[in-house]
Amino acid sequence: MKVIKKAKLEKVLEILAKEHDVYVPMQRGAQTGFFSFKTYNEDFDDIMLDTLNVYQPPKSIVFPQTEKMYGFKSEGQKINIDKVYEESEPKIIFGLRSCDLKAIDYLDELFFTKSYEDEFYRKRRDNTIMIVNACYNPGSSCFCDSMGVSPNEPKNADVLIHDIGEGDFAWEAKTDKGEAVTELIKDLLEEREVTLPTLKPFKRQVAYEGVAEKLKDMFDHPMWKDLSYPCHNCGICTYMCPTCYCFDIQVKTTGEEGYRFRCWDSCMYREYSQMAGGHNPRELDAERFRNRFLHKLQFFPERYGEPLCTGCGRCIVVCPAGVSIVKIIEKVKEADINNG
Amino acid sequence: MIEITNQIKDIARKLFEEKKIDMFLAWEKSEFDFQSRPFYAQSIEDVENIVFDEFSIHNLSNALLRFRDGKERIGIVVKGCDSRGIVRLLEDHQFTRDRLYIVGVSCPGMKDPLKALRNESGFEKNTDADLSAAKCNDCIQPNPVIYDVLLGEEQAPRMQGERFKRVKEIEAMTPDERYAFFEDKLSTCIRCYACRQACVACNCRTCIFDESRPQWVGREANTSDNMMYHIIRASHMTGRCIECGECERVCPVNIPLMLLNQKLIKDVDSFFGPFDAGLKYEEGAKPPLSQYRENDPDDFL
Repeated sequence: MKVIKKAKLEKVLEILAKEHDVYVPMQRGAQTGFFSFKTYNEDFDDIMLDTLNVYQPPKSIVFPQTEKMYGFKSEGQKINIDKVYEESEPKIIFGLRSCDLKAIDYLDELFFTKSYEDEFYRKRRDNTIMIVNACYNPGSSCFCDSMGVSPNEPKNADVLIHDIGEGDFAWEAKTDKGEAVTELIKDLLEEREVTLPTLKPFKRQVAYEGVAEKLKDMFDHPMWKDLSYPCHNCGICTYMCPTCYCFDIQVKTTGEEGYRFRCWDSCMYREYSQMAGGHNPRELDAERFRNRFLHKLQFFPERYGEPLCTGCGRCIVVCPAGVSIVKIIEKVKEADINNG
Repeated sequence: MIEITNQIKDIARKLFEEKKIDMFLAWEKSEFDFQSRPFYAQSIEDVENIVFDEFSIHNLSNALLRFRDGKERIGIVVKGCDSRGIVRLLEDHQFTRDRLYIVGVSCPGMKDPLKALRNESGFEKNTDADLSAAKCNDCIQPNPVIYDVLLGEEQAPRMQGERFKRVKEIEAMTPDERYAFFEDKLSTCIRCYACRQACVACNCRTCIFDESRPQWVGREANTSDNMMYHIIRASHMTGRCIECGECERVCPVNIPLMLLNQKLIKDVDSFFGPFDAGLKYEEGAKPPLSQYRENDPDDFL
């Protein structure tokens, strides 16, 4: 297998960054997330390929929180669309984890299948190469294997790297795109036999089987009210989630011109389900809370066959009120639906 | 703390037995030892789960807003800062005193379960083994200011040194430096509105940021819309912020929100004071920004 010295990683990133915008997990001040290597400043930033993951998932690289779609100008009664914003700069996400790659697979399902293809997402996605950092050491909030994700053998990685200790990463190209990237840095790679680490046991597991099916009869179950009490209905869980994809399309105008943009939206917000006539079908906090979990655990699986959760554990870590999707799944399993 | 937990349980049990309350707001333990979380006990059977420990950091007074239109009689545990939140709700007529049974606990300072979770998560390079909540270092009122029963020994305020020291440092900057400072901090906001949702002073029925006709603040997560959000949020806190620090604690991107709040606390105190929000409940008393006087200073406008 090919091997790269960790000491040469910055060199690798420099080479890749010549033709790509390379996103790398970093600690930047009080934040951790994927930041462009172009903006890397070694005095302030700390590259995080040796930690479990980062707070802000890489979802925003293929699906930005705010994204301009087109610009327009009005002349009298006429409106001319004078610009379409399509972003197709070649990108590499370097060192994302399996859970976050799987989340992007779900975005692909959403934006490419079921008879509609989103051209803005298509442009970004097709030009993004995924270099996945295999995970052998699940953290205290991780439960990806319970959600059908393999932490160390992800599907759809272009390159898979493995931290094999002794200051080395093993480097495996998995697709043509991956081969092309490997070619760029071939002088830095050496070939030798390696032993891959063994996957450590998960500290947290949850039995998801049967949940989507059971939830069909639990829309009116009283547990939602009790479970939702601590929830503040803020949007932290939805915006830190690598899979949550709800968005709104809005417009900003200044004088005669303006632009249409899309921006993430959150089902936790009352405005999200506010209808033009004034009615709100999810007026209550508990209804919005329920919707988030039904979407992840029932509606998405019904439409796409898999739950919209990859077990990354971020929502559990960041929730100010201690809400845990693992506990919710367990409560669904335990619930008595005959007396509900 | 175990003793206080037992006292709280006894009180809650008695209140349920005597049918004086429909609900009791306290904390329960969650998955990790360091994780206490808000708990809504609804029956005498639930009382067993109640906990008060060094991680009972949440300001539960905020939860009362969910019941403001109801008739439920609610028992609630409050620390010093949280109790100021109750005073604010009473002053703003968001709740009536007769629906509340307030268990005050003098607070020795709390630890932060979010900080512990971050340390544990593996999502962070900079971990801090000291779990003490940063917000408690600015505490001026550890002892509850309104209660039906008071538990725990009286505590001294933990704030050391000069109040508003950080605010004064920012005030000393040039306008350009100050702009750059806030631009840097606020550009990272993801507009999750956790600061608003965790806040007891945010008691508007429809928040200006949720209005769509007209839409007062754009929904783009960029520096300009983010600044607009934070300037409005902070100015709506004027004379209302009770310094519980929950906004800053829950922020997932660590924006120093209390810095903005404290600037306004300082200004209200110097222009209209002496005044600190929610320090004392007097029926009918109006906080400075709820009344108009002809000689109100206006040269800062």
